[in-house]
Amino acid sequence: MNLFNEKVTVTSEEADILGEKPEMLRCGGCKREMVADIVHAADSICPYCGALFRQPAYRRIETIVDSGSFIEIERDAESRDPLSFPGYKTKIESERSKSNLQEGVVVGKATIKGLRTAIAVMDSYFMMGSMGTVVGEKIVLITEFATLNRLPLIIFCASGGARMQEGVLSLLQMSRTTIALARHSEQRLLHINVLTHPTTGGVTASFAMQGDITLAEPGALIGFAGPRVIQQTVGDKLPEGFQTAEYLYERGLIDRIVERRDMRDTLAALLALHAGSAADDVRPKTSFKEWYDDVFKRNS
Amino acid sequence: MNTVLVANRGEIAVRIIRTCRKLGLKTVAVFSENDEHGMPARLADVSVCIGPRQAEKSYLNIDSILAAAKAFKADMVHPGVGFLSENDAFAEACAEAGLRFIGPDPETMRLLGDKQTARKTMIENGFPVVPGSEGTVGSLKDALAIAREIGFPVMIKAAKGGGGKGIRVVGDAAALEKEFALVRREAELAFGDGSVYLEAYLPEARHIEVQILADMHGNAIHLGTRECSLQRKNQKLLEEAPAANVDPAILDAIQQTAVDIARCVGYKNAGTIEFLLAPDGRFFFMEMNARIQVEHPVTESIYGLDLVKAQIQVAMGHHMAVPQEQIVAHGHAIECRINAEDPAENFRPSPGVIKSMTLPGGSGVRIDAGYAAGDEISPFYDSMVLKLICTGDDRDEAIRLCSGALSELSIEGISHNAAFARAMLADPDFQSGRVHTRWIEQVFIPRYLRGQQ
Repeated sequence: MNLFNEKVTVTSEEADILGEKPEMLRCGGCKREMVADIVHAADSICPYCGALFRQPAYRRIETIVDSGSFIEIERDAESRDPLSFPGYKTKIESERSKSNLQEGVVVGKATIKGLRTAIAVMDSYFMMGSMGTVVGEKIVLITEFATLNRLPLIIFCASGGARMQEGVLSLLQMSRTTIALARHSEQRLLHINVLTHPTTGGVTASFAMQGDITLAEPGALIGFAGPRVIQQTVGDKLPEGFQTAEYLYERGLIDRIVERRDMRDTLAALLALHAGSAADDVRPKTSFKEWYDDVFKRNS
Repeated sequence: MNTVLVANRGEIAVRIIRTCRKLGLKTVAVFSENDEHGMPARLADVSVCIGPRQAEKSYLNIDSILAAAKAFKADMVHPGVGFLSENDAFAEACAEAGLRFIGPDPETMRLLGDKQTARKTMIENGFPVVPGSEGTVGSLKDALAIAREIGFPVMIKAAKGGGGKGIRVVGDAAALEKEFALVRREAELAFGDGSVYLEAYLPEARHIEVQILADMHGNAIHLGTRECSLQRKNQKLLEEAPAANVDPAILDAIQQTAVDIARCVGYKNAGTIEFLLAPDGRFFFMEMNARIQVEHPVTESIYGLDLVKAQIQVAMGHHMAVPQEQIVAHGHAIECRINAEDPAENFRPSPGVIKSMTLPGGSGVRIDAGYAAGDEISPFYDSMVLKLICTGDDRDEAIRLCSGALSELSIEGISHNAAFARAMLADPDFQSGRVHTRWIEQVFIPRYLRGQQ
């Protein structure tokens, strides 16, 4: 029996699903191909083997901070291509449209279980999280903001190193970020680094190793030069698990390896433990907006 | 509207995919890592893994399901039964993502999902409900007063409970005193909410439900009754349509009440209103299930229609054009749920690989299976393997057809309840329609186990 006076009609013969293939990712653990968006919706963890995919910055922020608490700054900052490096501008544009990001790091303030913090999250899907002038500047800005407002700072590191296309200006960011963080530290404020896969090059050689507490995700590659370069240089076989988070943990370079699903709880616990000493009961000296306008005045 | 994402697994997912294929709609199956090789994944046009086997990370993971819908450009979502099917947040998230949710509005789901709100709405609109407390009961003192007023035995029920969990029957004041705090604590642990309410316990009552169908243009009809009294631990085992051995005038009244309730709450799409029918002919609203039900095929069989198709049509905004008077049922249908469990071992689940499976067939016999030979029944999900639906011109014919079909059914590799179901069909109490919601537990199981010895 048909109870309806209309017929179900399909608008096109070949439905869209069979046409365009969505963006796929291959799991580093079990080598299966999976739809990128679905993987990221499930914390970027392989449902089959539990291996970690690299997690996009906004997705990570969503899973770490209290819902709706994140306020981003300097979202639109963009690189000016200072060296007129061939093909750099087009490269940046294509990375932007692909990743829904303006640059390789997202910075802002948020609360984690009600505890206020400044946070910077690097995104390895944007030019492998490489550090150019904008990434450096944004790290410096959020560090200065944290210092001024006596906030702890959490940095999720993920980087292939300094951005070649900006040459020595990229390398300069190593000292700029280091100095900004030293000032933050002088104020006895907490700085937590979370090293994610991969944390290498100029980032490792600067702020990634500067945290009061250094956490890492399981299996993350952490080092300055990559394992292949080292192998070729020393001409010797590298030990098993060389430059992994676990290897560094055993040797005392990392304080703890934290599963992705435990990260929010761990960070909240660390913030709670360190609250009160210097950060928490001091009212912010300026409002976010005042500070932001001030930075703009200074820069223009 | 081209593509339906089926947000479920097993038998119901297969059921939905088949109707979509019939209508020319493409299907996206989502599965947990555990169900990669399952039947829905094999039948759908596209299938995709949405998470690990834990349901909360896959079949209950709204973000993953919506990401899958977006990735494969689905425009409709069918939630099936269980999992997210009565989750108003999911319905809302679908709408926000521009997807058509095949089911009622989130507001209606919210109203019906909270048993107390639903009950209150029914009382306010003059529909009969089982005598009980008005709202949740906060203290033992109140509980005792209310229980004396409505009379023992009473049930203590968790406000957020369901599926037979969080219910306790107490026969007198002493038992109530003992159990009240216990049920509250259990509810707190199981559902995150310790509120409970009281309801009169009606011995030997029957579970009669009415299938409702309503479109988005204010048309609402009923598709008759189903008898679902054959339950064990509040899980239905065998259902039939229409309800047998009930005064036709009472059936009419129940059906009309159901349509009035559906209209009253502004219900859209297919839904089921469950009633308790007391031996004296009084009937009471229990709850409304805002989704398709497992036992929907018995209704389909006697009305000759496809309820999943109707659901899709309602979601597409189609108009229901046939008036109630012209909707006529024919014959009688019985559904047996065949579960991977062992009745002789207190219905212990019996997961495992189906080594071989021989299915009955022929006129009037329908099989809705979620598995094929070679598939694994996982211990992580429910144990239903298939549904056998038999339709005859009258009840006796349906019983004989069903009994014969069950004797043909053979599944190797797991224990199942086909013989148990056959014994139920042969029981004189069942054949004469003298059953109630506790009949299986109180009468039939002891009888069955004696017969086994």
